[in-house]
Amino acid sequence: MIHPFTFRVSVAPDVLFQVMGEEAVMLNLKTELYLGLDAMGTRMWLLLTESPSIQLAYDSLLEEYDVEPARLERELNEFIDKLLEQSLIELGPGELSTSGMPR
Amino acid sequence: MSGARRTRLMENFPHTYYVYGITLHSGIPLSLPVRGYGGLAEIDLRMAPASFFSDAIAGVSLEQASGSWYQIGRLADGSSYMRWEHVGEFLISGDGRRMSCRQFDRATCESFEVYMLGQALSYALVGQAFEPIHATVVVVNGEAVVFLGDSGFGKSTLAASFISAGYQLLTDDLLILRETHGRLFAYPGPPRIKLFPRTARRFLGTAADGIPMNRDTQKLILPLDRRRSCSLPVSVKAIFALASPREVFRRQPVRLKPLSPREAFLELVKNTFNYRITDGARLQRQFTEASRLVRLMPIRKLSIPRNFSELPSAREAILAELKPQQLEALACAD
Repeated sequence: MIHPFTFRVSVAPDVLFQVMGEEAVMLNLKTELYLGLDAMGTRMWLLLTESPSIQLAYDSLLEEYDVEPARLERELNEFIDKLLEQSLIELGPGELSTSGMPR
Repeated sequence: MSGARRTRLMENFPHTYYVYGITLHSGIPLSLPVRGYGGLAEIDLRMAPASFFSDAIAGVSLEQASGSWYQIGRLADGSSYMRWEHVGEFLISGDGRRMSCRQFDRATCESFEVYMLGQALSYALVGQAFEPIHATVVVVNGEAVVFLGDSGFGKSTLAASFISAGYQLLTDDLLILRETHGRLFAYPGPPRIKLFPRTARRFLGTAADGIPMNRDTQKLILPLDRRRSCSLPVSVKAIFALASPREVFRRQPVRLKPLSPREAFLELVKNTFNYRITDGARLQRQFTEASRLVRLMPIRKLSIPRNFSELPSAREAILAELKPQQLEALACAD
């Protein structure tokens, strides 16, 4: 699913998150589900949940990683899909992106 | 402890035992150490008649715990009831300070104690904010070497191979860990090990002293004397997570692999001893405890082929893995 990149991602209530080195673990207290994130997933999670919009997280990832923009966009959307499926995040209106090209 | 509480304890609970770092005030004699360390918490244990339990669980729906053969019920006041057919029934108060027990007629004392001091006690421990871990522990050069693993992963068999080589057992199946001044300590369990007869004969030389755990398994309860068991808390040297038998090929060599902190965290959570209690407070505590443990102690994955003849080389691999750290410690001491 394609999510509006003007939206921002926030951590769902009842979700615990802990960075461990470059990786991370989380627990959804509602679903009692534990989850581990590898280094890439952890970076995506941190940027998504700390940025004012998905677009800004996307821009940062594009700068940090040697990746095709279209592929990053697809993978970011898939990642957000998985997090939504597990009720780990919530989407809401965000702030305008720096690139001025909200999706 | 106040004078009034001491008097009440002496009258109702004439026996005092020490296990898992807990002081157990008991109304019945048990085969547990009467000396030791018990400063982590206190639990009162009493026998109760059948009517006490039938009254307590009147109107409570009991469920069969999946993957196990005991029934469990949660009472409105937060107490937990559990019952093993042909063994006994238990009621644990929500705060984990009181255990009421009844041994069924045909159960042996040994079998009853295994369930009482294992699964039933784990409800009391969780009630008192402990996080019991599914692990068997041996003592090597005065330090604890922990084997994490689910039932059937070979924890006790590996421990038996260490006992046969002259090392002591600290606990079999249930482990309490506590951090003190930045060091992790493991607390001693009951001085016994549970093994299948073939394993007992192979490593302990005899299965004659063993008592069947229950009538549906061949597994034996084997008491261990002071030479073969340790009754003091010891600091933890290393933690190994045993690979599932399904992950290990019969002909592969013994393998050791360091786990990333994320993998180590998930191993610890997988090996929580009591996963029936899943209220928010418990899950949050479990998350925090596992995160802290991973920061204190690395965990290695240990894959051992399911073959007795591989156990000496597994033991040697573990002992070799401990050596570099021992040398580092010696260098620091110099």
